[in-house]
Amino acid sequence: MISFKSVNKWFGDLHVLKDINIEVASGEVVVVCGPSGSGKSTLIRCINRLEPIQEGELVVDEMAVHDKKINMTKIRAEIGFVFQSFNLYPHMTALQNTTIAPIKVRKMKKEEADKLGRKMLTRVGLEDRIDHYPAQLSGGQQQRVAIARGLCMQPKIMLFDEPTSALDPEMIGEVLDVMKSLATEGMTMMVVTHEMGFAREVANRVVFMDEGKIVEVAPPNDFFTNPQTDRGKYFLSSILTH
Amino acid sequence: MLEALNFRVILEYMPLYLQCFAATLWLSALSLLGAILVGIIACAMRLSQSWFLKRMAGIYIESIRSTPLLAQLYFFYFGLPSLGIMMPEWVTGVIALTLNSGAYYAEIIRAGIQAISYGQIEAGISSGLSYFQRMRNIILPQPLGMTIRPMLGQAIVLVKDSSLLSLISIMELTRAGQMLTSDRFMPTEGFLTTAAFYLVIYYMLKVFSSWSEKRLVFQETH
Repeated sequence: MISFKSVNKWFGDLHVLKDINIEVASGEVVVVCGPSGSGKSTLIRCINRLEPIQEGELVVDEMAVHDKKINMTKIRAEIGFVFQSFNLYPHMTALQNTTIAPIKVRKMKKEEADKLGRKMLTRVGLEDRIDHYPAQLSGGQQQRVAIARGLCMQPKIMLFDEPTSALDPEMIGEVLDVMKSLATEGMTMMVVTHEMGFAREVANRVVFMDEGKIVEVAPPNDFFTNPQTDRGKYFLSSILTH
Repeated sequence: MLEALNFRVILEYMPLYLQCFAATLWLSALSLLGAILVGIIACAMRLSQSWFLKRMAGIYIESIRSTPLLAQLYFFYFGLPSLGIMMPEWVTGVIALTLNSGAYYAEIIRAGIQAISYGQIEAGISSGLSYFQRMRNIILPQPLGMTIRPMLGQAIVLVKDSSLLSLISIMELTRAGQMLTSDRFMPTEGFLTTAAFYLVIYYMLKVFSSWSEKRLVFQETH
């Protein structure tokens, strides 16, 4: 579903992704972790070309994202993206946030899109917040609207960029629960997160990155109990002991 | 002081004033619509990826903001006919006012757009919305709400600037005051009446602005 082959990326002189090779199969849940500045957010932002790559091949759902000439609109419609800072449209209600893309990109009729939006908002447990504006919702609720917004495009892949990092601790659970249910329903997911409980429970593999490189790829139980590299050991000890 | 005013003359000239009041209204309204449109286009050009469009918008905005409106008005009034382009006076006036305010609107709208977090734009990109769909549905509705006050301020400036059109012999409120003054030598009556009508327009705009502000403004968290 997602395939990185020898991908390199620079921000100016800064080499942020170094020779990335990884394949994500359909239905797989991959958690990406690593210290800040390791390139993990950049990695998933490349998948829908929020960041362009400079070298290598990146193929998503059989479409070549590395090809500068390709029309990204079609690929992006198949990929849901959930941001750390939610990025809801503040002038639209929860329902309008979820229906704008289906109406404009998928050319869905408004009634049909509203039905879909209600269904997805219900799925994330917000059936009573449909007509609220983002400013009237808590952080956890806003992030769940953002997930529903992604789901309304009926995507093949969902990408999450530190979805719980901006949340108060008591709201993290409600967002993770939604993500877990998605994972068990077979959604292909790549999740940048430090929520190790989530990784243990639903991830098929954990990708550990440091300094722009993929250092380790392993099933979560192997990675957490027996990391193969010193960097991995050091990272786990630093996040598990605080 | 009021008893010193000759209300009989003011009443006598009232039909002229009302006619000129209407003229100021529609000339300003037309220029305002044009200016907002020009402002949106110039702002889109300035924020675009293209070096050329950016530069063009920059030259337009800078040259308008660095020269007096009267000079711009005379440029269009005297300059264009000498290039063989003939237009009725009112068209020249509306073009000058439109292009002048358009530059200011471009900057007002730009400030509003740049206040929007880039994350929202990325969210739009991620869901497959095209540049124009993002502009139309996500970006433009927000500064239109946030910048009501500065937009209104510029609209008031535009209405007052329209008084300069009297200098290219367009019949509008200031011209009416000039006519009363030159016919009867009563500048106080002439221009106080003119000022009173401008005040009416100012209050109309103010009422409209607070009404639309209540409808359009929303709050953003985080």
